[in-house]
Amino acid sequence: MKPATNQLVEHFFRHESANLVAVLTRAFGIRRINLVEDMVQVAMLEAMHAWKQRGVPENPAAWIHRVAKNRILDYLRREKTYEKAITLSGQSIDEQESIVDQWLEEEQLPDSLLRMIFVCCHPSLERKTQIALTLKTLCGFGISEIARGLLLPNETVKKRIQRAKNSLAESNVRIELPSADQLTQRLDVVHDVLYLMFNEGYSTSHGTEPIRDDICEEAARLCYLLCESPFSAPTTKALLALLLFHAARFDARTDEAGTIILLEDQDRSKWDHRLICAAQSWLAKSKSDQPTTFHLEAAIAMQHCIAPSVEETNWDTIVILYSRLLQLRESPIYTLNRAIAVGQAGHTREAMAQLQSLQNHEEMKHYLLLDCALARMYELDGNTAKAIDSYLIALPKAVAPHEKEVLEKKLRKLTE
Amino acid sequence: MPKYMFVYRGGHEDMEHSSPEQMQQVMQMWMDWIQGGVEAGWMVDGGDALKPGGAIVNSDLSITDGPFAESKELVGGYSMVEAPDLAAAIEIAKGSPMPKSGGTVEVRELPNLGKQE
Repeated sequence: MKPATNQLVEHFFRHESANLVAVLTRAFGIRRINLVEDMVQVAMLEAMHAWKQRGVPENPAAWIHRVAKNRILDYLRREKTYEKAITLSGQSIDEQESIVDQWLEEEQLPDSLLRMIFVCCHPSLERKTQIALTLKTLCGFGISEIARGLLLPNETVKKRIQRAKNSLAESNVRIELPSADQLTQRLDVVHDVLYLMFNEGYSTSHGTEPIRDDICEEAARLCYLLCESPFSAPTTKALLALLLFHAARFDARTDEAGTIILLEDQDRSKWDHRLICAAQSWLAKSKSDQPTTFHLEAAIAMQHCIAPSVEETNWDTIVILYSRLLQLRESPIYTLNRAIAVGQAGHTREAMAQLQSLQNHEEMKHYLLLDCALARMYELDGNTAKAIDSYLIALPKAVAPHEKEVLEKKLRKLTE
Repeated sequence: MPKYMFVYRGGHEDMEHSSPEQMQQVMQMWMDWIQGGVEAGWMVDGGDALKPGGAIVNSDLSITDGPFAESKELVGGYSMVEAPDLAAAIEIAKGSPMPKSGGTVEVRELPNLGKQE
């Protein structure tokens, strides 16, 4: 075996393990998912040992697929449960094996992955569980990676995922695509899971672990997979556009030390214009008579992405888009963002009144960004003393160290 | 220049619970180290890994099944390097991914067969 290369594509192991879990669980049933995962893990370890000194074989994916498939078949033969285990009934063992091989072929892989997306986002599971299970099963993350990414203890993640698997196994959920009459409903759940998953990775209150970027990337990857399938709806495309608009601003969000840089201070030349273009094209394809929150949020994100600066941003359009969002769904966060846009559009007094009325809102009492928004309005209004006061009120509400840093930096700038 | 065999023992004990990404990182570390040695000239042969199974043929021709040792003492692989002396070979071994993985490197010189230096 002559080593073809010393480099594998990024996240090769992660994605191959997800591909294998999807295909083999489809073949052997949800009840065997733990066995499948164990055998896939064994295959991954074997690959690592075999390749680390000799280099990667010419077709590394086929190598791993073969080993994983053989490990699980060996196991089932040993247990003499082979015939019962396989869900493809009425066919000879050879035929069954060749079906698994076909499912593992590149062009057929998306089919198994899509089925698995709908299983991980099964409506019988809680939202948090759906996210953890998706990260484990479809993204090939390890427990400790998920725990770090979601800021949870390892044990919690482990239990959550095991509970999910048990519950899916108990109801013997089939690894299949939803029927036509259920598709819209099931798709909505998947959209929500991908959106929340991305937010988990993107949220600035969670620090700057590199794994968080990976979570965002994975949410976008799965959304793309869905968009390219016959099951995608205009909403799916709007969601992908939204995720890509956000992802385009990743590298400009933090400095070398990992400190958060606010939108107004970001170097816009660092925004990924390739991603912005891709997002715009998905948004164009997402046209629908009934725009969803994803459509509107994507349109807002686009306004930011195409503006040369904060001042030159089309804030009037953003205000309109937030008003339409509020018609679709009441949310103090939308109200907050709308007020900021109103202020940025030049109506700072009006914005302040709206923000102040939000302060009575129970959900917003401890919301750091509300005080920050108010501070920003005083700043725009030229009232430095009041701005400093508001930032000082915000300061004790900051939980993560980098949030405190951003506020302290702001305060230093204002008191200079 | 003298040749040395690096015999790798143990390491990777905790890899069973590693994530796929971590496995890929460990593998990449090895590949980069071997590649670097080949380019610098001291890596004669990256060698290979040894699978954990197998058997021992004893002097009375009886057979003992593997595994033969605790996993941390198990020989997991070997490489061949070239270095001016033992001290230099030891320095190379220190730079290998093995110590970082919790394993050991045994550095053994090969006899120089008849060649005068």
